[in-house]
Amino acid sequence: MKPRLGSVFPALHLGLLRAAALLVPPSQCVEWQREWRSELWHVRRERAPQGIVSWRAEREVTLFCLGAFHDALCLRRHALLRLRLPGATPASPAYCIFWLALALVASFALSLLLPGVRAANESVRAQTDPGLILIEHAVTGGNSLATVSAAEFRNWRSRRQRYFDRFAFYSIARENIMPAEGGSPWTVAHATANLFSVLDIPLRFSAPVAGVHGNPTGAVLSCEAFEREFDSNPRIAGSMVQVGRHLAQIVGVAPCGAWPLPGKVDLWLLEPEAAVAPGAMGYVVAHLTALGRAEMFGPTVAITVYGAGDSAIDLFGVELEGRTRVPMDVFRFALLLAFLCLPAVTSVSMGEYNFNSHKPSWPRRLCRWSFLCAKIALLLPIVYYVPLDLAWWHISTSSYASEYVQWIASFLLCLFGMRWVLLDQRQRCPVCLRRVTHPAQVGHASRMFLSWNGTELICMGGHTLLHVPGLPTSWFSAQRWLYLDSSWDFLFAGSSQSGRT
Amino acid sequence: MASEAKLSHTAAMILQAIHAGCIYGFGIMEMTGLPSGTVYPAMRRLERDALIRSQWERQSIADAEQRPPRKYYRLTAAGRATLESSRKRYPLLERLIPSEEAKPV
Repeated sequence: MKPRLGSVFPALHLGLLRAAALLVPPSQCVEWQREWRSELWHVRRERAPQGIVSWRAEREVTLFCLGAFHDALCLRRHALLRLRLPGATPASPAYCIFWLALALVASFALSLLLPGVRAANESVRAQTDPGLILIEHAVTGGNSLATVSAAEFRNWRSRRQRYFDRFAFYSIARENIMPAEGGSPWTVAHATANLFSVLDIPLRFSAPVAGVHGNPTGAVLSCEAFEREFDSNPRIAGSMVQVGRHLAQIVGVAPCGAWPLPGKVDLWLLEPEAAVAPGAMGYVVAHLTALGRAEMFGPTVAITVYGAGDSAIDLFGVELEGRTRVPMDVFRFALLLAFLCLPAVTSVSMGEYNFNSHKPSWPRRLCRWSFLCAKIALLLPIVYYVPLDLAWWHISTSSYASEYVQWIASFLLCLFGMRWVLLDQRQRCPVCLRRVTHPAQVGHASRMFLSWNGTELICMGGHTLLHVPGLPTSWFSAQRWLYLDSSWDFLFAGSSQSGRT
Repeated sequence: MASEAKLSHTAAMILQAIHAGCIYGFGIMEMTGLPSGTVYPAMRRLERDALIRSQWERQSIADAEQRPPRKYYRLTAAGRATLESSRKRYPLLERLIPSEEAKPV
C-alpha cells in the first residue's frame, strides 16, 4: 500500500504545479514552473525522504504546492494592474469617466442591435402630418373604439366638405392568412385604398398592384409580420397572399413603429371603397383643410355632421400628432421632472469650501467644474439609451407599455444618476479630484455642544481632509474642506503629490 | 536612493534571510516561516527593485549531485544598503534571523 501512495503523492504535487502554471501569464510560465519543480524536489527531500510516507510530510509538501496558486494569482493581479489606465485608481477621476463612457458605449451599442429600438427610432423619422385627425363618436371619444360604420363614412364623404379635404376608413377583423406559418388568425385592417397616402406613410419595398388573377386588392404588411413570417425578404413585394377567401398582392411593408392609429395590425388590405362591408365598424382618418386647422383649439375638436334625414351626429376629432409621443419627448419630460425632484433627494450645493488661507487656483476650479460637466454629459445619453433599451427590447412590446417603461426608467435613472453625480462631486478633493476615502467617525453625538461630531475623510494624495457633520448645526451645517500643508507629507510618503498647490 | 526605500516587514525579513545565507526559496521559507505563496512573489518584487538578483546554478553541478538545478538569490549593493536601513527600522530583525557573522560561536 505504501509504495503505491509513495508514487501517487508526487504525481499529485506535479499536477498541482502544472495547474498553477496555467494561471501564470504565458511569458513567465516556463520560468516559474521550472523554479517550483526545482524547489519541490528539495522540499520533498527535506520533508519526505524516499521510502517513508508520512501524512504530515505530504501535507506540508501539498501546502508548498498550493502556495504556487498564490504566486500565480499574485502575478495575474500584477499583470492586470499594468493593463489599467495610467494613474487610474478606483478613486481617480479618470476611472469614473472611463466607466461612464463604457456604460454609454454599451447602452448605445445595444440600442443599435435591438430591433425594437431600431423600430422606435424609425417611427421618430416618420413625421405625422399635423393636419390629420382621428374621428370618433363623441360618446366614446378618446377611448379608441371603432364607432363609425362604413355606411356613415360613405355618407359623409359624398357630401361637400369645407373643413376636410381627404378621408380614409379602416375596420379591423381577425382572418386566416395563407401562406402564414402557425395557422393562427392575423389582425387584418380592411382599409380604403387611400389610407397610407392620407397618413403620408411611405411604404418600404413598394410595388404597384399588377392586377394578376383579376384582383386589384393590395396588401401592406406590418413590420413585425414582415420579419416574423417572411424573414425580412426584401423581394416580398408582388407576392400573393390569401386573406380569407380573397387573394391579395403585397404592395409594400409599413415602416416599423410608424402606425399612429388604434389597433395593432398585421396586414392592411387596401380595398376599393365599395368593397368594405357597409355595417363594418371602424375608424375614420381625415385631413384638415386650412380652414379646418384654423377652427382647431388644442389637440381635439368637436364636429357635428348630418346623417340621413338631416339628423345631427356629434363627433370628436383628435389630432394624430398629439397621440404619438416619440422617445425623445418622453426623455425630455422625464428629465424635467427628475430635475424638479432632485432637491428632494439630495442637496444641490457643491459643499462649503473652507480652505483656511488656501484656495485652489482658477485652473483647478475650472478642472473641477469641467469634471462635473463631463459626468453630466455622459450621464444624460446613458439616461436616454438605457431606458430605450429596456422599453423597446422586444419588437412586440406595445408602444403604450413601452412609453411607460421608458418614462419610469428615464425618470428614476436621471434622478438617482444626478444624485450620484452630486454626491460624488462633493466627495472629490478640490485639488486633485480624487475621491476622499478612509472614513473615520469623530466625536460623540452626545457631546456635540462641546466639539463637532461627524465623519472625517482623507484625500489619498495628501491634499485635503473632508469633515462631514453628523448632525447639522447652526455653526456647522455643511461639509468643510481642510487643506493639509506640507507638515502632513510624512503620512503620504508613497502617494503622488503632483496636485499640491 | 534605494537605501531610502521603505520596505515592508516581510520584505525586510526576506532580505535578512538572504543575507544570513539562505539563498534558495525553500530555505528562505524555512528561515522566515513565511508560506510559499508569500515568499516567491515578494522575491520577484525585490528583484524588480534591484535589491536582489537571481541566477540558475549550472546544470553540471546539479547533474553531479543528481538533482534538478536550483535558482539562487543574492543581495545587490542596493539591497545591502536597504537592509541596513531596515535594521534600524526593525531592530528585532537581526535577533529573529541572525546573520553568519552575528551568530554566537
